[in-house]
Amino acid sequence: MSHLGDRLSALVDGELTGAERDRASAHLAGCAQCRAEVKQLRALKQKLRSLLDGAPAEAAMTRRLISMTGPGGPLPPRRRLLRVMPGGRAEPGQGLHTSTRPGTRRPRPARRRYLFLGTVSLVVGLGTAAFTAGGGGQAVPGPRITPPVELYSVQHAIITGEVPFSGPSSRPGSHAFAPGSGAPQP
Amino acid sequence: MFALSCAASRRHQGRPPWLLAVALAVTVPGCLLTACSAPSGSPHDRTPAASGRPAAAGGPAAPASRHSSALAVSLLSQAARAGIATSYQGQEIASRWGNSGETVLTSDIWHVSGGQTVTQTVAAGTYSSGPYLSSDTDGQAPEGVLGVTMPLVRLLETHYAVVYAGPGTVVGDNNRPAQVVEAWRDDGTLAARFWLDDATKLPLEREVFDPAAHLISEDVFFNVQFGNPAPVHPPAGGVADPQGPWTDPLSPGQLLELRAHGWLVPVGLPGGLSLFAGAQTQTSNGTALDLGYSDGLSVVSVFEQRGDLAAGLSGWQKTTVDGHVIYAAVPDQRSLTWSSRGMVYTVMADAPTQTVYAAVGALPHDSPPGFWKRLSRGFARLASWVNPFR
Repeated sequence: MSHLGDRLSALVDGELTGAERDRASAHLAGCAQCRAEVKQLRALKQKLRSLLDGAPAEAAMTRRLISMTGPGGPLPPRRRLLRVMPGGRAEPGQGLHTSTRPGTRRPRPARRRYLFLGTVSLVVGLGTAAFTAGGGGQAVPGPRITPPVELYSVQHAIITGEVPFSGPSSRPGSHAFAPGSGAPQP
Repeated sequence: MFALSCAASRRHQGRPPWLLAVALAVTVPGCLLTACSAPSGSPHDRTPAASGRPAAAGGPAAPASRHSSALAVSLLSQAARAGIATSYQGQEIASRWGNSGETVLTSDIWHVSGGQTVTQTVAAGTYSSGPYLSSDTDGQAPEGVLGVTMPLVRLLETHYAVVYAGPGTVVGDNNRPAQVVEAWRDDGTLAARFWLDDATKLPLEREVFDPAAHLISEDVFFNVQFGNPAPVHPPAGGVADPQGPWTDPLSPGQLLELRAHGWLVPVGLPGGLSLFAGAQTQTSNGTALDLGYSDGLSVVSVFEQRGDLAAGLSGWQKTTVDGHVIYAAVPDQRSLTWSSRGMVYTVMADAPTQTVYAAVGALPHDSPPGFWKRLSRGFARLASWVNPFR
């Protein structure tokens, strides 16, 4: 005798119709093995349905997730400082709406905000760079001079009648000279 | 203070007893107090009568004001002439005390009557030593005469009371007999003391004090030999200024004419310093002008050169004087320099620090730009940096 096979699950799911369902029922009446399998399938189907019926709803899941954000609970919803009512009247504490249709909101002006921030950054950066570059003395045309100290020291000694303190460092044709020896020797 | 007070007590000897008692009552506690508090052995703290010099310390007490004596002025004038007309040689030790400490220079000096002066530095601490031939080719402005020149003597007589302090001896030169002349300020403080050789009147020693009675410079000429043993042979290439000598002293008319060509020529500087000398020379960067200011003792040279200070000056360090940022030459800081309005100013001075700072403050300085001016200058510089057609 051939058993129901794949038609068992179709029978359990109620997918068999007409003569096919009658033949399956007649077989079940005389086959204990197939009756046992049908019984197991129906029990399994019942368990699965009970699991799906016990799953939390979307709202319940959302509340659970929010409750997991930490101490203090979830942040309060953002409040808008100003809301323009349909008649053009501003109402404090509400959002800003420029639409004339109540309940509709235009997208945030993100591009304008980025443009503003970029402009401010550019102005501040250029100003800082200019202020830094503008430091120091006024550029003066002409030579860049390192004071010739030795040359000046010689002249200073002339007018003071004293010995130059910053003496020449390396004079050509150096000559020895000692007091009492007369003139300097080349 | 200690020595000054003690000297004052000595100077009152021979006065009435009550005057001596008053002097002792004032000076003895001061002597004791100062002796206990003042550090010993610091030459800079030596006061006018404490330098261990003979004779000159035994003069009369300092009155509130003094008057120049004809004898003292005559002695100094003779000393200035002796520095030109006398042939001499010897060693000179020049000591300076300032903010950077003590600077000592030892030099050999050889001078021919009416001729050149040769100076060779033999010990100068951080300075290099090398033979040096004076730029004074006609012997009219010899160096190493301890600041006793005719122009300075005239200024000294004008700004100070020049008095004769009596005979003395120069300790550093085998007690050579000398005549002592002092210069006093109007406030009754001693400004300088000169020892002049008794025979030739050549200046042998000089001490200069600041208004607080601190010794700020001392010049001693010792191992002096007079006579003219041999003529001077200028060393080949040993000229003082390889870039060209300074011109002869400019006349007052020439100095005033320089103003018309954009040079700054003040007739005086703070501290009673008068313009008394001027000269020019040529450098690799153009003309340099020297203006000499003095009151007879303090001498400030102001050098001017067109241009701007080079970046990263080597051997100079930034400092602030009278609120102005300038550069001081290391190590002795005797030279100060800065630039303003297209002119580089360099100041060399033999003067008290207060006098030097006052002179520097009186010369032009660039004030820091305001906010908007600095900003506009910065934008202009930024624009010039990115200008491809520049």
